[in-house]
Amino acid sequence: MRSLVLLLALASCSKDDGTGRGAATGELSRDRIVEAWKKGGLTPTPLTAATTPVGKDCQSGTVNGVDVLVCQFATPDEAKTAEAKGLEWVGEATGMAQASGKVLVAASDRRKSDPSGRTINQLMKLSK
Amino acid sequence: MRTILLGIAALVLVTSVAIAGKKQVRYVGIHPVPKAEGGGFCNIEGPHVHVFGANKLEYRDHRGANYFVGDPVAYGYDGPRHAYKGHHPIHVHAVVGDSEPDVEYCYLNGPHYHYFTPPEGPDFKMAGEAYFYVGTPPPVYVEARPAMVEINAVYTPIVYARPVVEVAAPVGWIGLHATYGVGMGVGIVTPGVVVAPPRATVVTPGVVVDAHVHVPTPTLRVDVGVGFGGGVVVGGDNGRHRGHHKHKKFKGKKRRW
Repeated sequence: MRSLVLLLALASCSKDDGTGRGAATGELSRDRIVEAWKKGGLTPTPLTAATTPVGKDCQSGTVNGVDVLVCQFATPDEAKTAEAKGLEWVGEATGMAQASGKVLVAASDRRKSDPSGRTINQLMKLSK
Repeated sequence: MRTILLGIAALVLVTSVAIAGKKQVRYVGIHPVPKAEGGGFCNIEGPHVHVFGANKLEYRDHRGANYFVGDPVAYGYDGPRHAYKGHHPIHVHAVVGDSEPDVEYCYLNGPHYHYFTPPEGPDFKMAGEAYFYVGTPPPVYVEARPAMVEINAVYTPIVYARPVVEVAAPVGWIGLHATYGVGMGVGIVTPGVVVAPPRATVVTPGVVVDAHVHVPTPTLRVDVGVGFGGGVVVGGDNGRHRGHHKHKKFKGKKRRW
């Protein structure tokens, strides 16, 4: 019985569901990305659930005034495929959509708060 | 009739969407931002989009994205830079971190900067803290050259701190080549028609006075202004030249974009 409980506990920790609970596996997750942004000196707002054609499990917010969308997918291939839709989400602005593992991060400077692109460059580098 | 009207309505709708919407243009790597779009420099290194276009002289296509091959310092770039002299290949795949080779060519005459170092190997030699291309260019370089050398007309009026290269060019430098070197600063023109006396360039920080006098005579062409390695100061670097330190960001390191 004890073994079974341990096994179940291990199984629940080994799967990354995008909330950071699978951090022990080394996989990227939304929480880890947000944490990396903060450690890198960026200022993200809390991410909130977003309804978008990019993916079913997406959250949006801003980082130093740049709009960001972070979506979690079941496989890295799905995240990679969603890059095109991520660019559609960027819209008529400077931006970028980048898949890293099962996570897709899209950034759009709709508010023109990042004319040099330094924020987008940094947040994308920290999202890997 | 109804079909025709519907067709016209659809056409009008599509046209208005195209006019109202700005088209995304793909870029990869850092590049200047047009003055009309606010100017300055875009520091996004990975593949990204803007809603403004790129010109054909300063950009090359890299898998559907525009890659800047000009001198970033001319547009206010203040990051790590490396001096080059004359035309040379650019291994775009190495700079952006792609595995599939994509070699493009820089047609900037004389000393200029890039933000990347060339690949290691025999095709580049460093002299006077500048890289000189000493390889043999392929036909694709030669074919595109007449159109692409027009890039120099873009940079000539820009006043900025160009690198100072005062050493003699190494043996094999493309600028000294009997065929490829013509027009790059030092040219040996066989049945010569044009002789241009040495071009005098006086440089003080931030100011460039450029006197270029052409005196036609029959046999020889010597245009020292932008290419000859023998002690011609082409520009002042305002103390910003960072020597030949390898750009570690790009050296021996595959970037994941």
